[in-house]
Amino acid sequence: MTTLTTAPAPTAARTWQRSGGLLAAALLTLALVVTSLFVGVYDLGAQGGDAMFWITRVPRTLALVLAGSAMAVSGLVLQQLTQNRFVEATTAGTSEWAALGLLLSVILLPTVGLATRMVVASAAAFVGTMVFLVVLRRVQVRTTLVVPVVGLMLGAVVSALTTLIAVRTNYLQLLGTWFMGSFTTVVRGQYEVLWVVAAVCVAIFVLADRLTVAGLGRDVATNLGLSYDRVLLVGTAMVAVASGVTTVVVGFLPFLGLVVPNVVSLLRGDDLRSNLPWVCLGGVALVTACDILGRVVRMPFEIPVGMILGVVGAAGFLLLVLRVRRRG
Amino acid sequence: MFSRPPARRLAAVLTAAPLALVLAACGAGADAAEPAASASPTTAATTVTIEDNHGTVEVPLDPQRVVALDNHVFETLSAWDVPLVAAPKGVMGSGIWPAYTENEDVLDVGTHREPNLESIIAAEPDLIIGGYRFGDHYDDIVAQNPDATVIEIAPRDGEDVADELVRQVEILGQVFQREDDAAQLVEAFETAVADAAAAYDGTSTVVGLITSGGEISYSAPVTGRSIGPVFPTLGLVPAIEQAAEDTSHGDDIGVEAIAAANPDWIIVLDRDGAGVGEGDYRPATELIGASPALTSVTAVAQDQVIYLDPNFYLTEDIQAYTALYEQIAQAFAAA
Repeated sequence: MTTLTTAPAPTAARTWQRSGGLLAAALLTLALVVTSLFVGVYDLGAQGGDAMFWITRVPRTLALVLAGSAMAVSGLVLQQLTQNRFVEATTAGTSEWAALGLLLSVILLPTVGLATRMVVASAAAFVGTMVFLVVLRRVQVRTTLVVPVVGLMLGAVVSALTTLIAVRTNYLQLLGTWFMGSFTTVVRGQYEVLWVVAAVCVAIFVLADRLTVAGLGRDVATNLGLSYDRVLLVGTAMVAVASGVTTVVVGFLPFLGLVVPNVVSLLRGDDLRSNLPWVCLGGVALVTACDILGRVVRMPFEIPVGMILGVVGAAGFLLLVLRVRRRG
Repeated sequence: MFSRPPARRLAAVLTAAPLALVLAACGAGADAAEPAASASPTTAATTVTIEDNHGTVEVPLDPQRVVALDNHVFETLSAWDVPLVAAPKGVMGSGIWPAYTENEDVLDVGTHREPNLESIIAAEPDLIIGGYRFGDHYDDIVAQNPDATVIEIAPRDGEDVADELVRQVEILGQVFQREDDAAQLVEAFETAVADAAAAYDGTSTVVGLITSGGEISYSAPVTGRSIGPVFPTLGLVPAIEQAAEDTSHGDDIGVEAIAAANPDWIIVLDRDGAGVGEGDYRPATELIGASPALTSVTAVAQDQVIYLDPNFYLTEDIQAYTALYEQIAQAFAAA
C-alpha cells in the first residue's frame, strides 16, 4: 500500500483489498464447509452413502454454520452493549443461565418438546443477561477486566445452583453430556430448530448501526437520538435467543464469541457494520475447523467440539494478543 | 491379587486384627464360664477367613449389623433377607430394592459423589461391604469405623468379570452361611453363560453401546462398563475394535461410525432407563431402533438389537448378568 502515490488510489486499493479479502475469507470458509460435508466415518461411495449424506452430513454442517455464526455474532453484540472486549455468552453468564433454564424445564416440564425447552432456556438466558447488565450498571469501577470478572462470577453462582439442583435430582451425570458442546447427535430431525438463530443473525445485520451507536455509551447514544434502552433490550434478547437455542441443541461453545470478534477487530479495526460478515465467516470457519479436527483425531470416535474449541480458541487468542502487543 | 497397594492391605489387616482379638477374647470368656461347652462341637467358629480385594480378612460370621455400599451385593442380600443398617440410597434407584431404599431404619449414605460417611458410623456396623463406586472412600471408611470389618469384594480391574462375580457371591455365601444358595446362583449363571456361548455362531459381529441424555456412546469390548465383559466371556467378534478412553461411560461415537461398522448385533445399555433422566429422556429404542441413519444396519434391519434391563446400570450383579446371558442366548438362538 505504501508504494501507491496518488491520493485517491489508496482508498480504491483498500476497498478492493477489503472486498477481495472478504471474498478470500468466504472461499476459505466455504472450503471448510465443503470439507465438513465429506469428512466422516461412513464411506459415501458405499451403498447407502447417499442417504447418509442427507441424514448426517448435511444437517451437521448446517448446524455448524448456524451455531458458529450465531455465537460469534452474539459475542460481538454483547461486546458492544457492555463496551468491553472480553464479554461473550460464556463470560457474561448467559450460557449458564440458559443451562439452568434447560435443566428446570426438564425437571418441571418433563413431557414438553424441544421448542418449549428452547423458549425456557432463552428466557432464562435473557433474565440472566439483564441481571448482568443491571449489576454492571451499579459497578463503579468498570475497567477492562472487572466487567468480565463480574460476568464470570455471576455465571459461577448460577452454575453452582444448576449443579446443586442436578445433584438433588440425580441429573448430575446428564449435565456433563448435555452441555459439552458436541455435534455428534446432530442428525436430520434434530437440528432444525437451529434455523431460529439464522433469523437472529439477520436481525443483527439490520440493527448493526444502532448497535454501533449504543456501543458509544448511553449518553452519546441518547444525544444522537437513539432509544438506548430499547436497543439494549432488543440486543440482549437476540443474544439470549442465540445462546438459548445453541445450548439446547449443541451445548456450550466456549470462546467462540470472544475469539472471533476480537481477532476481526485486531486485524481490521472497529467498524461493526463492515466487521459483521467477517465475524460471521470467522465463527463458521473456526467451529467447522474444530469439529472436523474432532472428527478426524480419534476416528471412528469423536472428540466434542467444545473441548477442541477451548484449547484451540484459547491458545490462538493468546498468541494473537501477544503478537499484536509486541508489534505495538 | 498382588497388585494391591500394600498400605491398603496393611490397613485392612490392622482393622481386622483388633476385631479378631476382641472376638477371641469374647470366645475365651464364654469358654471360661462354661468349660464343658468348649469341648463340644456345637461351638462353631465365630469368624470366617476370606480373601477380599486387599488381602486376607477375618470376617464375623453371620454379621448382624451390615452396611453395604457395593451395588453388586444388594440383590443377593435382599434375596437372603439380610437386613442393612445403612446403604447408599442415592445410587440404588427406586423400587429395585424397596426393603432397603424405602425403609426409614436403613440410614442413607447418599451417593459416592456426595457421600454421608457419618451415617455409616452412626449405624454402628459389624461389617461394611464397601468398594466399587465407593472404592475411593475405602481409607476413610476404614479409619472412621475401627470396630467394624471392612471388606471390598467388587470385581477387580483387569480380572475376568465372570470369575469375579462368582468369587463375590461365593464370599457372600461364606459370610452369611448361605453357601448352598450361593452355589445355586453360580450354577444358574454358568448355565446361562454356557447357553449363550452355545447359541453364538462364532462369526457374527457385535457392538456394545450405552445411551444417555440423547447421546450414544461406545462401550469397548472387555473393558466397557456392563457390556464389555460379555465379549471375552462369550468370545464375541467385535464390530468395532478400539480401546476405550472412558470405560465407565463410553466414548462419544456418531451414528455414522455404527452404520459404517454394520454390526450383526447391537447390545445396548440405556443408562437413563434406571429412573434417572425421565425428563428429556430419549430411550435407546428411539435413538438406535428408530434412527434413520441406522435403518440399513444388519442389527437394526433384522431386529437383532438386545436392550439390557434398564436397571442393569444400577445392579450389575451376578443375577443381572445371568438374566442378560439368558436374554442373549434366547436372541442368538432365535436368529
